[in-house]
This record gives sequence, structure tokens and C-alpha cells, in this order.
Amino acid sequence: MKKIFSILILLLAGNTLLQAQINSSTFGMMEARYMGPGTMSGRITDIAGVNSDGKTLYIGTAGGGIWKSTNAGASFKPIFDKYIQSIGAIAIDQKNPKTVYVGTGESNMRNSVSIGDGLYKSTDGGDNWTKTGLDSTEHISKVMVDPNNSSVVYVAAPGPLWNNSKHRGLYKSTDAGKTWETILYISEKAGVADVEIDPTNSNVLYATSWEFRRLPYAFNSGGTGSGFYKSTDAGKTWKEVSNGLPKKPFGRVAIAIAPSAPQNLWAIVESESTGLYISADGGETWKQQSATSNITQRPFYFSTLEVDPKDPKRVYRPAFSFSYSSDGGYSFADASNEGGWVHSDHHALWINPNNTNIMYVGTDGGVYFSLDRGATWKFCNNLPVGQFYHVSTDNQQPYRMYGGLQDNGSWVAPSAAPGGVSNGNWQAIFGGDGFWTHPDPFDADIAYAEYQGGNMQRINIKQGTSIAIQPQAAAGDEKLRYNWNTPIVIGAKNKRNLYAAAQYLYKSTDRGANWVKISPDLTTNDKRKQEQEKSGGLSMDVTSAENHCTIFTIAESPLDENIIWVGTDDGNLQYTNDAGKTWTNVAANYAAAGIPKQTWVSSIEPSQFDANVVYATFDNHMYGDHQTYMAVSRDMGKTWKKFESKEFTGFAHKIKEDFVNKNLLFAGTEMGLFASVDGGNEWFRMKSNLPWYALVRDIKIQEQTNDLVLATHGRGIIIVEDISPMRNINSTVAAQDVALLNNKPITLTMGKYAGGFPNASGDWNGGLPSTITPLQYYLKERANNILMEVYDKDGKLVQKLSPSNRKGYNKVMWNQRSNPPKTAKGGNQMEQAGFLAPQVMPGDYTIKLKVNGKEHTQTVKLVHDATNKDFTMQDRELQYKTGQELFAMNERLATLVDSINTTQSMLKKHMDSTKNKKTKTLLQDYWNKLEEFRLTLVPPVMKGTGDLKRLRSDISDAYTAVVGQEAKPSNLQLQRVAALKTELSKAVQKNQELKQQFEKKVTDAINKEMPKRPEVNKQMKN
Amino acid sequence: MKQLPGFRSTGVTIQNNKKEQMKILKSVSLLLVTAFSFTTIKAQTADEIVNKHVEAIGGTENWKKVNSMIMTGTMSVQGMNLDVITTVLHNKGSRQDVNAMGMNNYQILTPTEGWNFFPIQGQQAPEAMTADDVKDGQSNLDAQGSLVDYKAKGHSVELIGKEEIDGTECHKLKLTLKSGKSETYFIDAKTFYVLRVVSVKKANGQEAELSTTLSNYQKLPEGVVVAMSISVPFGPGVNFDYSISKVEINKAIDESIFKPAK
Repeated sequence: MKKIFSILILLLAGNTLLQAQINSSTFGMMEARYMGPGTMSGRITDIAGVNSDGKTLYIGTAGGGIWKSTNAGASFKPIFDKYIQSIGAIAIDQKNPKTVYVGTGESNMRNSVSIGDGLYKSTDGGDNWTKTGLDSTEHISKVMVDPNNSSVVYVAAPGPLWNNSKHRGLYKSTDAGKTWETILYISEKAGVADVEIDPTNSNVLYATSWEFRRLPYAFNSGGTGSGFYKSTDAGKTWKEVSNGLPKKPFGRVAIAIAPSAPQNLWAIVESESTGLYISADGGETWKQQSATSNITQRPFYFSTLEVDPKDPKRVYRPAFSFSYSSDGGYSFADASNEGGWVHSDHHALWINPNNTNIMYVGTDGGVYFSLDRGATWKFCNNLPVGQFYHVSTDNQQPYRMYGGLQDNGSWVAPSAAPGGVSNGNWQAIFGGDGFWTHPDPFDADIAYAEYQGGNMQRINIKQGTSIAIQPQAAAGDEKLRYNWNTPIVIGAKNKRNLYAAAQYLYKSTDRGANWVKISPDLTTNDKRKQEQEKSGGLSMDVTSAENHCTIFTIAESPLDENIIWVGTDDGNLQYTNDAGKTWTNVAANYAAAGIPKQTWVSSIEPSQFDANVVYATFDNHMYGDHQTYMAVSRDMGKTWKKFESKEFTGFAHKIKEDFVNKNLLFAGTEMGLFASVDGGNEWFRMKSNLPWYALVRDIKIQEQTNDLVLATHGRGIIIVEDISPMRNINSTVAAQDVALLNNKPITLTMGKYAGGFPNASGDWNGGLPSTITPLQYYLKERANNILMEVYDKDGKLVQKLSPSNRKGYNKVMWNQRSNPPKTAKGGNQMEQAGFLAPQVMPGDYTIKLKVNGKEHTQTVKLVHDATNKDFTMQDRELQYKTGQELFAMNERLATLVDSINTTQSMLKKHMDSTKNKKTKTLLQDYWNKLEEFRLTLVPPVMKGTGDLKRLRSDISDAYTAVVGQEAKPSNLQLQRVAALKTELSKAVQKNQELKQQFEKKVTDAINKEMPKRPEVNKQMKN
Repeated sequence: MKQLPGFRSTGVTIQNNKKEQMKILKSVSLLLVTAFSFTTIKAQTADEIVNKHVEAIGGTENWKKVNSMIMTGTMSVQGMNLDVITTVLHNKGSRQDVNAMGMNNYQILTPTEGWNFFPIQGQQAPEAMTADDVKDGQSNLDAQGSLVDYKAKGHSVELIGKEEIDGTECHKLKLTLKSGKSETYFIDAKTFYVLRVVSVKKANGQEAELSTTLSNYQKLPEGVVVAMSISVPFGPGVNFDYSISKVEINKAIDESIFKPAK
């Protein structure tokens, strides 16, 4: 009843309520910078190339969507930003290469693997996509288009990793993806991992099934559901292949077929005797071949095996490292590191079938290409798909970003650099899989970083030295259990406090040199969840990735250092308000709000405004539940309110409260960034130049810049610039038709981070931040007609701007300058001065915004930067005055040259028409004198590059030097201005002299000839 | 009243709930149906959308009378103002003159040739365009715009779906020109004006995307409606704006202007 009533109210009030709504599109104009880097990339899951051109490539990534290159890898563009970012497999219909299929959901089933939501299809080379089924498969390992029939498509889906499901197996479509049929189904536990088609006979198919399962604390690969199958009727019927293969049970089986001799097959079979098996009779019989560990290790993770399209003896095994065979798989060599190290852990290989020397390999650290059949490799340093777990920032200028990445260590980089932040600005500070990485709050040279399983160190960034600081078990302690992603946290209230945790919480006040254990075991300590040594299934796989019953998150209250919150991976949420003497577990309380009990407590955010308020996120995906769980408690965890929104997708990683506006919240999930401007009642997806389903693992708000800094697991670090509009546009503002938003004084600046060398290495560049505060406004509706002008306090127009007209938040960059001076005509090109206007002086300026004919005004105060000791207000005044003098000189010269040009064209006209020889000579003489004079002022038009230096360039050079800098003009600059002024005055004088010499004579001569042209006199007085 | 996706699904949830609520529901759903009737009309076809668009900009009949167009305006970015005159003689030639502080720069395109002359960049003589550039620019010779009478012109249109552009819901259409070049049009779902055109320029084995945003639509005495403001992104918060002050339709044009000056 209540619900219906509220619907009625909403309906009646609908119109006004709706229009005031703040949603995804409101902040669409906020900029996002993709910091990458490209120096270490991220996990690549598939590579598909267009056979016919060899230069169109589609790169599938673990968490960064799809990147397309149309130039063989010189540049890449993301083409899947509105969809799920975890990509399993890509297939191109080579007969119609604009048709591309993408199976979402990676199938490299490691602990941190993400999921997909089905199959997508594009018929225009990736410009537009439509979902075409298999929504619940979660993981797709391979998509194949029948090379002989474009309507037939096969999809191998291992299926869900964390739970039983019917949505797995081998699917077939005979109508190019419209409808699907399951043609090989094993069980709710086993899906299909690999499929091959005999290119010479499309009825012959090979497929392998795979039984596998993860739990939060264990992994199993292998079981009775795993097997090897062959069909000779295009999938109608299947027979199991076993002759010569090892004894079952199998684990994951990778297969390869030689395209040029398809009777030849290779298989890596995970089993009690995992090995390489070769068949020469279309899979009927097999023989084991001895192989190095690179060929056979970690089969659940390395499932790629490829054969050269032309040479059936050339077999490739991208795995931990890159192996290749020239004798049909009997012996393998490893790729050389000559010319550059190749990142380990390979998952994808595309060989150009028309030039098989050329190939691309996808690794856990990006894409490499080879021009010599895989012997040596070169890195594509322009794919910013790094998988960060966490990010931190410091307070330097520019601030630095710190973060740890899956498989790619820990790094630090400035958030801005001349020419934009590129690969070379990033510094590696620690290895392994990187997680939490922090700057020391008191020493810019020191950082804290770790690799998997809590191996943490204090690092001197400058010296490149480090000290192990991992807390050790004391006598009487249980064996320490460190999470794969072990928390290291700096106190939010007392920044001298450093925390780290296993199942116990540790605190250090001397940068990790010494630790105090400040809690008992805060986990459930469930022994059934601690049998990690048995993990892996058929192949042992003990990497700390399954460590469980550990502390996963720590948060000190920003208001009271005695209040510390701790969350575990097995559902406990505990706090102390006496710095660790006593602990209270509130797990049952959040469960009462409808959040499952055993979840990972993925983040805790104690409020900066009220010590009793705490936000938390909960992640239950390892039990097959991918829902978004987030909640707030306003009474120290006694009661919880779960946040609800139809917008939510993906399990929750992080919730962040703004430090200015307590109602502004951000949340990062496995599938998107969300925001609320009303304390969590309503949420909307952030689409401000962001991938809609980005895997957002961590969020920081940098205090000086108000930048939102995101650690994404697949798109590197993303900086959403200056979120202050989100603080200012509340429902009251949003209800107005137009609102001007510059309520604070704006500091005058010419900007920073100029210079920088062009991006010669072609690497990824994160661009430059805007360093000049823009003019900002809100439009309730898109404006058809919009104008913006800036006036000074005397009402004089300073500059006309080109404002945007979008619905929601808008901004326009005013360079804080007026208009450039008019420069004299002449020569080959325009002077620099013609492009550069003087900066305005501090003071009040009126912004006039005309929207659809209606004017809105706001006064904006521009202020001098008093903190800049190198440029005082007196300096500014002198600089402005000098700049204005030079401005006037540019224009005075322009007027002079215009006057000469006018006279010359008049002379020319009469010279051409006169028949009187004497008059002609007189006119020519004046013209010649003027020309000679003119060419001392401006350069001649000449063949070639550049212009000769004349008075115009002298004035322009002095002008641009003075107005182009935030500095007091130098003594010589001032002297130069005086000298040029004299020179200019002399030129004006010279023109007068020529006039006196010729004017009367010329006028008389012309008048004599054409008495009816009185305007001649008038013209010559210019 | 605008579309409210949330409401409809809430209604569905309730319908799935208890039976005793059915009575009240009936009246509610009636209200819902009335309120949202226009959002539930069947999906529009590409043709319907193009027709509505052409109607919104003055109708086929008026546009088919357009044989030439001269647009006078200024391009401005950060206080730099350039005078720009665009002249199009339907299917015969187009010319854009850009005057920068007394220096005239131009681009000329005809069905078979094209020239660029940008002395502001130090160019000293007009340079002929490549065949690819000439081919790529052909749609500029259509004074009526590609969507007017598109079928007769040999173009085809595909409806991709709906997409939000700068907060405004748009129909997304893919126009494939007779030449094979394709352009994506975003047509405002309310006004049916073109809000943005995205084209990919392919020449010499390279691709470059160009996005043009149109606004300030005004009706001319000839009955046609044209965008008087054309904007191209130039950097964060900065647009390159072409603001048109005067449009002359069917003024006689001397075809010799479509040859570079000697």
C-alpha cells in the first residue's frame, strides 16, 4: 500500500522532481585523465587480427575492455567503454572482417579474475555493439566463426567459477549469433575450455571440457567432468578421445590444430601426468612428448597453444615464457630477451597469416610484437590497461600517485609533468604483484609497498633501498595468515600511525621498524578455510592467493586515533575505541541489514564529520553472489542501512566520503563508479569520460586539487579532475534553469607544465591537468543558443568566449587574457604577437551568459597569487604596464603600415591609369620611397621559410616576451621597449616627412588629370 | 513530462506482488499507461527519424530549392577571431575563405579536384589535395545536406539506437554515403535537429575522427532551418567555434571562384 502511495505522489510531482534530478549526465563534462601508465600494461586475454590487412588488431584485456589498432599497433583506441570490461575471447569473421564477436568474461581463472555478461557482436568494426546472448556464462574462453560459413559461430564457455551453473558448455549458432544451442554440455560443474575447427572440413570439431571451481580459500582444477571430445558432424554428436592420452581425471586441456595440415593436433593435458600430447591422425591416437616445464606448468592459467598458419612444424607455446618449436613440438626453444625483456605469463597469440614472421603476444604485462617468428620481441608501450589494486596520493606539487598492480609491482609518478605524464615519468619502486603503496606523510623520499602475502617493505625512493618491515609471529602466536592483498594503512587522524595486519592487527609509530600487536585474532579463524596447502587440484597451486581468515581492511577514524575499524575476508567487522585494548564485532549487525554474513569486508570509511558514522562495502562474489553491498551505520555499527540503487552493478570494492560535502559519496565496484550527492539515498553511475563498467578498486580525493583519483583494475590510474562541481550542484542549484558557479575567487595564472618534448617514443601519455580555473555554469536543459562574454569593472568587453551548451554542468576555459593586438600586415606569416593577448589585472570581472536570449551575470573576482614570491603585485603592475605599452606599439605600427598600404594602392591605381609620363614618374617615385620605407617596418614576401627580422618582429618579440611570462620585465627588456618606442616614433616621423615631400605634388598631379575625385585628398590624410 | 524508466519497472514489481493489491493497481497502471503512453510507442525506423529531421529543418521541398549557400561568420578560439566565408554551389563546388588579420586562406573543393592555400602556415602557393582528400570531402558539395532526399542521392541510413549526447537523448543514425564514407548522426529525440556528426576521415591509409556539434538552429526566409553555430573540440573546456552571422541562399555564384587564384 505504502509503495503504491509513493508511486502516486511521485507521478503527480513527477515533472518538477524529475527535472531537478541530478544524474549520470549532469557531470558529463568533467574531465578524466587516463594516467596509464603504458610502461607496464595489464593482462591481455585475447588478440585478433584481420587476416586480409594484417594491421587491424583487436586486443582483449582482463579489465580494460577492447582496444583496436588500425595501424598494426602504432596506436590503440578503446572501443568497448560502455560495456563489461573483462574480455574472454574475440573472433573476427574473416570473410566479413567488419563483423566481430566478443565473448565477455576472461577465462584465466585466477583468484582476481572478473566476469562477463555474455556475447557481443559488431558489424561495423567495433563502432557499435549489440549483445547477442549467453548472458549468464560469466566466462568465455573462445569464440570461433566457421571459416567456411559466416553464419556458424561456436562459443566455448567454461562458465561460472564460484558456483554450479547450467550456463556452460559449447554453444553453436547457425544464424550468425541470433540464436544459440548448447551442443556439448557436461555438468553444472564442468564447462568447455577449448574448441578447434578443421579448416578443411567444418564438420570436424575438437573440444575439451573442464571441471574447475574456486572457493574464497581454495582452488580446484580437474575432475570427472574434464575430457577431450571430437565431432565429425559439426557438433551433433561427440565421441570422447582417449587413445594415447593420460589416465583421467583431466584438468584443463589446451588444443591446437595445424591450419595447413589439420590431421596434426597438439594438446597440453592437465592430469596426474600433465604433458604435451601429439596426434597425426585427426585426434584418433595420441603420443606423449617430453616437454619442459614452461610447456606444461600452470595449465589452468596458461591455455594458449598455436601452430603457424603455413608451417605445420612450427608450434608456439606462450605460457610462463614464450616457447617455440620448429620440429612439430618435439623440441622447444625459449624466446630471447635480446632487445628487451618479455613480461612473463602469456595468454594470447595472433600470427599474421600472410606474413608469419609477424606476431603479437598478449601477456600479464601487455602486448609485444615480433618480426622474427617469436625469437625476439618489442613492447607496445601505448596500452594503458594496468590493473591497480590501490592508489595513494601525497601533497607535493604536483601531487604524486602511488599504486600497486596485479603482476606489475608498485609504482610512483607525478600527476603532472611538462608535455603530460608519460611512461618515463613512472618509477618502479617494488616488484611482484603490487597492492597497497603509500607515501610516508612526513618524508617525501619514503614509501611503503608490498608484494603478495604481506611481504611489505619501507622504501627509500631516492636511494633505491628498502627494508623488510613485515610483522612476524611472536611466541604463542598462531602461524600468521596474510591476505594476498594485505592491508598496510596510514592513520587518518594521526599520520604517524602505520598499521598492517595478518589475522592480528599491528601498529607501528616508527615507520615499521617496530610493531605492537594491538588485537587478538579478529577473524573467525575457521580451520576448514585454512587448508591452502591442498589448493590447486590436479596441479598444486599455492601462491598465497587463497590465504583466508585474514584481515583485509583497516581504517583509523579521521576524528579519533583511538577508533580503529577492521574488516576481515571471512565476514568480521570489528572496531576498537581504545586503540586496540578492546574490540567489538558488529558482523551480526550488518547482517541484520540484509548483507550476507561471510562476505569480504572490502572497505571501511569512517566519516570525517561524525565519529559514530561509518560506511562499508562488502564483497560476496567468491560465494557466487555478485551483488553490490554497501551500507552506512550512524551509531558505531549497531545498526546499518544498506544502500540500494537500480544503477548498481558489480560487487563493491570501495566507498569514499568527500572531505568537504558529507553528502557527496563515491563508490567503486567491479563494474563501475557510482556517486551520490544526497548522502546515499540516490546513486548514479559516473560516466564523465569514464568506462561505464570500469573495475574501480580504490578511490582517493586529493586535497589540494579536489581530483578524484581512481585505481582501476584494467584501465590504470584515472584522474577525474576537480570534483568540486559535484559539491556545488545540489538539488536547489539543479532546479534552476541556469546557474553560474564561480563562487570563489580565481587565482590568476598562465598555467603550468608547458614545454616538454614531443612524444617521440610513442608511449602512453596521461595529458596535462587544467591549471587555469575554468568558468563554470549549470544548464537545466541543453541551450540552443548560448553566448558568453567577460567584461571588466568599467563595462568594457574583455573577451568573447565559446561556451558549451550541454545539459548539466558546463565549463569554459577563459585564458584570463583580453584579445591579441593587431599586428602590421606583410611578410610570409603572422607575428607571434598576433596570437597572444595580455593577461588581465586582478579585480572584478562580470561574466555575462546569454542562454536562448536571456542574460545571466555573475561577478568573478580574479586575484593575484600572493604566495608567488617570484612575482609580486608590484612586479605584476610593471609587467602589465610594459605589456600595454608594447601592445599599443604593435597596433600603432599596424596603423602606420595600413596607412602606407592604402597610399601605395592609391598610387598604384593612378599609375596604372595615367597616361602622363611625368605624373607616372612622380607617383612611381613616391611609391618606391614608401616601399623602401615599408620594408624597414615589415618583412618582404619571399620564397622560402620564415620572415626577415624588421621593426614589426622586434616589437612582437619584446611584446611576447613580456606578456608571455609571470615575471617582472628585466632591465634590458625595459630598455628595449624604450629603444623600440623611439624607433617607432621615428618611423611615424619618416612617414610624415614622405607625406610632406610628396603629398601636395601628387594630389595636384592627380587632380589635374581627374578633377572629379575630391576623395583623393581625404584618403591621403590617413 | 519526461521518460521515467524507474517508474515502469516499479509498476511491474507491484504487479507481481499480492493479489489483493490488484484493484488499486488497476487504477495506478491506468495512470501509468496514460502518463507513459508516448514512451511506449513502437520503435521508430531510420526513415521516420530522417523524415522528422528533414521536416524539422524546413522540409524536403524547401531544401530541394537550395542550389547555393553562402555562410558568413567568425571562428573564434580564446580571443583569436577569424572571418570565415563558406560558399557552396550545389554539387559543383565549395570554398571556405578564412581571413586571419589580413591574410586570406582558403580551401576549394570540386567534384574532381581540391586545393588548400594557408599562407598563415607559411604556404606560398595553393596545393592540390590528394585524390583521397577530394573523395573524402565530397559531402561538402551537397548544399542541402546529406540527409535531405538521401535515397535519391544514393546514400543509405541505418538506425543504431538511442544514445545520450551531452545529457540529451539522441537517435543514433549511421549514414553511408554513396562514396562509401560513413558518418554517424546524433539527432535530438525531442527537436529532431542534428546535434552532432561524427565522421572518420580515412585517407592515405590513416584514420582520424572528427566530431562536430551543431546548435543555434534558425529559420531563414527561404523556409529552411540551419545551425548557426558549429563547434569542434579543441581541448579540455575549449571549443573551436564557427559562429555564423549571415546565410545567403541561392545567390548567384561565379564558378571561377572554385579555381585557385593564379
